[in-house]
Amino acid sequence: MRVGLPAMAAWVCVSSVTTAGELDVVVVDLHGAPATDAVVSVHGRGAPPAREAVTRAIDQHDETFIPYVEVFRPGDRVVFHNSDRTRHHVYSFAPAKSFEFVIAPGGETPPVVLDRTGEIAVGCNIHDRMITHLYVSDAPWIAKSDARGRAVFDALPAGRYTVSVWHPQLRPGKAEPEQAIDVGGEAASLRFSLPLLADPRPDPDDRERTRY
Amino acid sequence: MALAACAALAPLARAADVDVRGWLDCRLVGRADERSYADGGLGKTRFGGGGVDATCAQAGVAFDAVLAPALAAHAQLQYQATGRDEASLLDAWLRYRPVSTTPLRWSVRLGAFFPPVSLENDALGWSSPWTLSSSAINAWVGEELRGIGAEGTFEWRGERSTFAGVFALVRSNDPAGELLAARGWSISDLVSGLGSRVREPDAYARDEDEAVPLRFNPFLENDGRLGWYAGASWETRGVGTISLLRYDNEADPASRSRGTSPVLSWHTDFWSLGAQSRVGDVVLLGQAMSGSTAIAPSPFFATHTDFRAAYLLAARDRGAWRPAVRIDAFSTDQLPRSIDGRVREHGSALTVALNWRPRAWLRVTGEALHVRSWRNQRELEGLPAQRDDTQLQLGLRVIF
Repeated sequence: MRVGLPAMAAWVCVSSVTTAGELDVVVVDLHGAPATDAVVSVHGRGAPPAREAVTRAIDQHDETFIPYVEVFRPGDRVVFHNSDRTRHHVYSFAPAKSFEFVIAPGGETPPVVLDRTGEIAVGCNIHDRMITHLYVSDAPWIAKSDARGRAVFDALPAGRYTVSVWHPQLRPGKAEPEQAIDVGGEAASLRFSLPLLADPRPDPDDRERTRY
Repeated sequence: MALAACAALAPLARAADVDVRGWLDCRLVGRADERSYADGGLGKTRFGGGGVDATCAQAGVAFDAVLAPALAAHAQLQYQATGRDEASLLDAWLRYRPVSTTPLRWSVRLGAFFPPVSLENDALGWSSPWTLSSSAINAWVGEELRGIGAEGTFEWRGERSTFAGVFALVRSNDPAGELLAARGWSISDLVSGLGSRVREPDAYARDEDEAVPLRFNPFLENDGRLGWYAGASWETRGVGTISLLRYDNEADPASRSRGTSPVLSWHTDFWSLGAQSRVGDVVLLGQAMSGSTAIAPSPFFATHTDFRAAYLLAARDRGAWRPAVRIDAFSTDQLPRSIDGRVREHGSALTVALNWRPRAWLRVTGEALHVRSWRNQRELEGLPAQRDDTQLQLGLRVIF
């Protein structure tokens, strides 16, 4: 994922910065395989301008939430679609937001405002092995790693940054891995090797297991 | 009236989400030499008597329906072609599980269900996704145990751990345990359905002056007493799950069924301890069971059999190729020691399987099962008590 920052906005917000740099973060597991769906947060001096709240959709297809992880800002909204021919009953009991909706095939929920930061695990009360994670953060820069495990931040104002990574398969209760880096005129890069737990989602090709 | 009933049910029927899946298992079998328990022998494997043949061993269909967001229905029918052709109902239940937006959640099941002993058998037809033959523990659970009644579950779901408790009141399982006493353990996937009549060893039938083949229905209510089970499990993310279950059918060991061929009640109770963990794509399972079964059909005769079994299994749980290996150990010991010719056994088994899943609807499994067992009941048939036997299977499971 690539996160852009207009040069003018950066100049306005971080007036002391005269150069901008790119930060390339690669997230892998302990075997070196790309870690998709890692949330990379970048903290440093200044911040990009706040954007308008947006509504992001989470689909349910083949009894799987898509995407597995989605990033939100406080005030953003989430809508759940149901592309299956079966009903789903999405719910969460996370401290950051609790809700529950029955969604008919082809239907969708009303927008749910996510007003508090935190990780919100969402499940289906009918199909117990379905899970998705809503990550609500006010970090100045934030992005989700792509299929190659990469998250790229364009045009960061020059300076020292702290970069942290969250992934739903990190052992719960542990502090997020964190590294510091100087970003200047040349492209900077960071690599995180994460001790990921097994993927809790069922194998979509496994029709042999019981579902309820 | 009928139209009114249809009109009332119509919204429910439209809303219902119904899932129907079937399966067909065909096998190329290299039979073990000893006659199988399924044919009245004392062999520990499903297929015995020597030789090689092909068979479509079983088929079935599973129905699942979401009747309402909190109400699910489930049933499985099977056809088995080993020992005796038979169609039967494996399980059938309704589950009410209201959604909870707190860490606490509860549910209730009503119907006929497998007590939650097995960590292996979560595939269609109560089969194992890793091996063709279930462990000794779960082969017995599949043959003789079924709860008919009500089961309540509660869960506390934390960030790191989930704790769950279960309690059930069940009936119609008074003969459960007889197979362990009369025949001993097996390593098999021959699961009984409600109404199935499982076979006693011919050696046991002759010893009891009964005609061969001798069969009985393990799912009878003889004494009007409710049995129960209670259990707890604790799952920690990244570590694994440990579960403990206590089962007691509370059968009156002096009772028996009515009719010309009464079936005795066996008072059976056991502890079951299981653990599951995962290292990468490899799942590790371990289970142990210890219990006893007893009858006292007359004031002058009572017998009691202690039974124990355990297994360890390691299997790859992702990808098209999924190897698995399992080691079983088992024993039974009839008491009191004063009984003339009291029956005892002990043994072990090694199961090695390789599963190939080239398509979502197809599973091909090669399995080698070696059982080493000592059972003095074999001497009643003029056979040595000690046996070493190997069963080979190439299985094709089609899911449709």
